[in-house]
Amino acid sequence: MDKIKLPDFSNPIYKKKAKKTLGLVLKYFFLIAIGYIVLFQIFYMISYAFRPESEMNDVSVVWVPKKFTLENFKNAITALDYKNSFFNTLTVLIVSAFIEVASCAVVAYGFARFKFPFKNFFFFLVILTITVPSQMLAIPMYLNYAYFDVFGILKLIGGIAGKELRPNLLGTGFVFWLPSLFASGLRSGLFIFIYRQFYVGLPKELEEAAAIDGAGPFKTFMSIIVPSSGVAILTVAIFSIVWHWNESDLSSLYYNDRYPLSVMLSFMSSKLEGIANDSRGIRMAACLIFVLPVLIMYALLQRKFIQSIDRVGIVG
Amino acid sequence: MRKNHGYESKKSLYGFMFILPWIIGFALFFLVPFIQSVIFSFSDVSITENGFAVKFTALENYRFIFFGSAKFVDNLVASFTGFIYKVPIIFILSFIVAVVLNGDFKGRAFFRSLFFIPVIVSTGVVMQYIGADSMMESMRSVGGDNTYAGGIIDFTKVFAGLGLPDSVTQIITEYLNDIFNLIWNCGIPIVLFISGLQSIPAQLYEVSCVEGATKWEELWYITVPMLRHSMILVAVFTTVDFCSSSENKAMKQAFTLLLEQQNYNESSAMMWAFFILIGAVFALILFLVQHFIFRRWD
Repeated sequence: MDKIKLPDFSNPIYKKKAKKTLGLVLKYFFLIAIGYIVLFQIFYMISYAFRPESEMNDVSVVWVPKKFTLENFKNAITALDYKNSFFNTLTVLIVSAFIEVASCAVVAYGFARFKFPFKNFFFFLVILTITVPSQMLAIPMYLNYAYFDVFGILKLIGGIAGKELRPNLLGTGFVFWLPSLFASGLRSGLFIFIYRQFYVGLPKELEEAAAIDGAGPFKTFMSIIVPSSGVAILTVAIFSIVWHWNESDLSSLYYNDRYPLSVMLSFMSSKLEGIANDSRGIRMAACLIFVLPVLIMYALLQRKFIQSIDRVGIVG
Repeated sequence: MRKNHGYESKKSLYGFMFILPWIIGFALFFLVPFIQSVIFSFSDVSITENGFAVKFTALENYRFIFFGSAKFVDNLVASFTGFIYKVPIIFILSFIVAVVLNGDFKGRAFFRSLFFIPVIVSTGVVMQYIGADSMMESMRSVGGDNTYAGGIIDFTKVFAGLGLPDSVTQIITEYLNDIFNLIWNCGIPIVLFISGLQSIPAQLYEVSCVEGATKWEELWYITVPMLRHSMILVAVFTTVDFCSSSENKAMKQAFTLLLEQQNYNESSAMMWAFFILIGAVFALILFLVQHFIFRRWD
């Protein structure tokens, strides 16, 4: 009988192979561990959201509740005033997100393609705006919005006319729309930065051709640049929508009623006392219906979004 | 020549026109409130019939927040400790994840879309609720009457099994729970790192492969030096994100004071005290890194 011939393991090829396999195992272990933590939180939300109150502390219920209930969702929708606050989020915050996506593109194009005095200084200021927490600026802005004025002009005219011309913007959408319109909204600095990196990497030939054809810079921007910057627009739009969706600090300051969803969610805890002894189920249901719209948006766009992260080249 | 000059100045005028919205916005929504905020922190602000009045009180607000109420100093220390250990963890963790995700392997698309979920869902509020709830669970299981079978690794059990006292167990559990939450803050840093990795020319790796460098050497001699701009950006982003997040106790105290008591001056002072502390430490670290590490790479 022939002996089974074992391969010669002292051969360096095997050593290399073993190393490679080990590396692969480590890699997947790491990925799965972190993926587990991400998914755990999502599953935790789902599991508790469908759990009836009687099963909250039931040791035998691990992940899947014995009896599914929609009671938590019903309570959460009432506590959040879902329909109205969803509408508020859309009309105020999401509109502001879209305005910001457009205005930052215009400004970034100016920084990327034109030479003008103090350009580097201005861009340094753009970066500076990223580093200051928005809450710090919100304190004076709250007072400024109560009597909104542009460098004292309205006060001056109002003083001459003997009337109060300064409008109170608190509680209106303008507190978000105006900064976004002037490319100074939520994290606008970062978006200008992302757009600028993208435009700098864009070949100049098309624009030059358009200029030779007699198109002015604004026409060139609208007809050449905007159509070819889909990747950058998508990246910025997703970030902007998500950050506006999640924004709750400024809105809780600027609004007294007609709160967006995020604020309703953060105020919810105090409202739930009395509804249920263990409000965890309702809280998780509320979290779930809060993140669901953006999660759906992400699910629809995720392939394009992930490709665009590769291609935008946020950091040059 | 003259015509060219005219074209140039026209071009610079167009440039100004493109950035004009930002210049207005910067003045109106950044510069003015920024300066006001500094002034507020040194003054007594009161609401009047048509606007507000500011009375200069020098360092009174700062004196009060540091010596008048003990709570702020505690919160400041807590926030600062959080900054010192959380930002580096987020930084290193997201770097590793980005390097791994940037490579080619089976299931890459799946893991990528999974790891960007935190970018989408990363609200402070949701995280607070989930964090608070799972925390409640582990606290209870320290008591010993309940087995928490929610699925997360039950550290309290592990440590209790090791025979550590409950108080130590609780502290460790708290930190470990923090680390779990930190992964949720890694979303944007991972995105920034990946796009930085994408911009490293592939030829560099080809050359090093020909020269016979190991993967480890490639990481330290190509990837890390080439990523230094991304690293600065991530460090800045993570720090600012930490400063403005509501988990941060000092900031939270200042904001609650503002919301509940309409106290504009003391809340401004608190935010400035915190911002300057973090900013100074951050600038120092950045300076040291720039001076001792980046200079050698150039």
